Amino acid sequence: MSEPILQARGLVKDYWMGAARLRVLHGVGLDVGRGEFLCILGPSGSGKSTLLHLMGLLDRPTEGQVLFEGEDAFARPKRWRDRLRNEAIGFVFQFYHLMPDLSVLENTLLPAMIRTPLVRWPLVRGRERRRAEEVLGDLGLRDRKGHLPTELSGGERQRAAIARALVHRPRVLFADEPTGNLDTATGGEIMRVLARLNRKGLTVVMVTHDERLARQAHRLLHLVDGRLLQRP
Amino acid sequence: MWDGWLDIPGVMAALAGGVLVAAGLAALILVTPIYKHIVCLRYLFAGWKAVVPLISALPAALGVFLLILVFAIMDGFVRETREMTRGTLADVIVDAHLEGMPYYDEFIQRITRIEGVEAATPIIQTYAIVRVKPRVEAVKPLVRPCLIIGVRPEQKAEMGRFAQFLVRQTVAGLKAQEKTRMDTARYLEHLRAAGYPPEALLDVPADLRRDGAASRAGAIAGLGIIGTPLPVLVTESALEGAGARVLLGVLTGGAVVVLLLVWQASRRYHGRRGWRRAALAWLLAAGALATEAALIPVYPVREERRQVIDVPLLDYGDDILVSTIPVRPSGALEKEVGGLPKVSERLLVLVDAFRSGYWEADSTHLYVDFATAQQMAGMEGRPAEGDQAAVPARASQVHVKVHDPAQAAAAVEKIKEAWREFLHERPEAGLLQLSINTWETQQRMILKVVEIERNITALMLGLMFLGFGVVIALISYVMAYIKGRDVGILKALGARDAGVGSLFLGYGFIIGLLGTALGMAGALVMIHYLDPIEIWVNRMLDVDVFPREMYYFEHIPRHVSAPWCVGVGVAVLAFSTLASMAGGLLAALRQPVESLRYE
Repeated sequence: MSEPILQARGLVKDYWMGAARLRVLHGVGLDVGRGEFLCILGPSGSGKSTLLHLMGLLDRPTEGQVLFEGEDAFARPKRWRDRLRNEAIGFVFQFYHLMPDLSVLENTLLPAMIRTPLVRWPLVRGRERRRAEEVLGDLGLRDRKGHLPTELSGGERQRAAIARALVHRPRVLFADEPTGNLDTATGGEIMRVLARLNRKGLTVVMVTHDERLARQAHRLLHLVDGRLLQRP
Repeated sequence: MWDGWLDIPGVMAALAGGVLVAAGLAALILVTPIYKHIVCLRYLFAGWKAVVPLISALPAALGVFLLILVFAIMDGFVRETREMTRGTLADVIVDAHLEGMPYYDEFIQRITRIEGVEAATPIIQTYAIVRVKPRVEAVKPLVRPCLIIGVRPEQKAEMGRFAQFLVRQTVAGLKAQEKTRMDTARYLEHLRAAGYPPEALLDVPADLRRDGAASRAGAIAGLGIIGTPLPVLVTESALEGAGARVLLGVLTGGAVVVLLLVWQASRRYHGRRGWRRAALAWLLAAGALATEAALIPVYPVREERRQVIDVPLLDYGDDILVSTIPVRPSGALEKEVGGLPKVSERLLVLVDAFRSGYWEADSTHLYVDFATAQQMAGMEGRPAEGDQAAVPARASQVHVKVHDPAQAAAAVEKIKEAWREFLHERPEAGLLQLSINTWETQQRMILKVVEIERNITALMLGLMFLGFGVVIALISYVMAYIKGRDVGILKALGARDAGVGSLFLGYGFIIGLLGTALGMAGALVMIHYLDPIEIWVNRMLDVDVFPREMYYFEHIPRHVSAPWCVGVGVAVLAFSTLASMAGGLLAALRQPVESLRYE
């Protein structure tokens, strides 16, 4: 494995249901190499989405560390993690999670709009727009950029979500069941897109319960009841 | 358009404040990430949701409308009351009561040397009974208590608005409002040009002299003394069609606003062609309304309306019998030979009527020449006779005019000091209990009541904003709840908690802004067209919204205070922004994974 870009160390995550504690992850540890396509496979409820959220810095672990390029992410201020998610991490969700009130192009521009103050926007708008159109064009959505997400098919929505995840040239792409809501053919198409991006050097961490899809990854990890069955 | 009721210095202050607030807001908006503005505006004005902020803005608009309209009328009432009260008095009043102040001319000379004092004049005040025989045979003689006020007319005319309140000796062609608002010096110039020199205001002109009136002094009586309230038909001008045109104008404006609101929705949800169709439809609707409004004929009509007014029961030149009881310098009443109080009777000639709009003055004041009043009050000077020493003439009051009315209180202190010095030099003036006050202090009871009424009304209307705040808080909370997934998406993409929370503050701010704009525009239009609207409402509902005889104003008073308008606007904006913290906090505290885990 190449030099790790992301490392999880003893990740524990508890949820509280009233007074009852539910431990979803039991000390998970793994390394993700730069340019690797890692797939975490597990049945529903095994904790794979929780693990992805912790590694993607969307949630804080009860115990353990996440090292991003060697930096302990949860030892740094929240602002640092927010900035990292905005500039170095991309997310693709099972249910697309596009903002319904924004067009495909605006959804794709969101990361740029989040980091740019209004006063600077006129200066960078053209460049950001060209970049967003380029990514949308690569994903075959150039003609759909003015449409609202509700006007797109499932596959188009997921491609729009991938465009939004890629537009800022992330170093790691997290995909949470990216084909879970799609038919087989469209799911295959999305997987081909992810594989193509990985071949270009993008690190991809995907969770799924579909073994057939998982086989396309460089490395496969099984997560059962919050524990990794195979250590890297 | 705004002359007369828009406070010009206030406008400047408000503009300066407004520019500062706008600059601060603009800076804040410019340095915040652009996604907040785009997402917030899209939440507000995209699709059917555009109706939500519009509806939420209505309570704010209503509150702003009522606060500005009611306060403008109440403030106008306060200002006009103050103006009328002040017009009958002077900036500073030195009151020696019925005891009277000797050597008043010397003291006046000293007062006029004080820095900031423009002029001073002596006044006589004494109580009297007035008897008049009305022209109408069936009406019994009127017997009324009154306050005799002896003035030097040329000095008193300069002092307040005394000349501007006269009914006969007035500048023809001026409306009552113009007359009472005009600068006193300018009005006196007009009056001189019209043949009424201020020094002759109390003279009895030849055409008013009747048999035996040659030696009688003239008197100016308050309209309430010589008149009686009677219902009469007054002719009133109205603009037929103006109300309907204003209403249609407001509807047209509303249509244009709605057009702007649906712009995003139509563009987003129906494509470009759909947007063009929708825009065309709205423009046609707005155009049709505007055309209809323009086509409504507006023309002046004159209407008769029943109104109760003080109708004078005397003609100018008629006799007025005034009875007074003179008071000696010692304070004792003048006595007849048998020991009974001496009643001094004087037959005067009515030369003019006085109507200030200040009820107390109009129903009691009877102005006569200073020397005449001095004799009636027993305050004239007497030379030494036998073993009796000479008695100096006295005055009840000295009215003082200052250059800057705002400095009246400072002038009071200087006049008090001058009186102490005067007493030192003239100890024979005696230890008088002088009251030296500004006109405001002297009239504080009536002014305070009106001001308290205004403030309580504003406070009660302001409480409406609590309800409005609850509405905004609920809407913003529900929006943040509904948009929970969007909150998660934004945070997943790197938006900060505070940033996402402030998106909902912006939501409340824009609702407040909409409400403020709608309410303020509505109130200002209403205030501008208050008179035609009042006439229209009176005609439509057959009521008298503002009975003139009750309020003594010829129109509904109004005064738009620009700082108040800005204050109300800023308060609404602040209140709506604060109320929307309910949604902002929910959004800021929400963990992104909570809303992203499921669809």
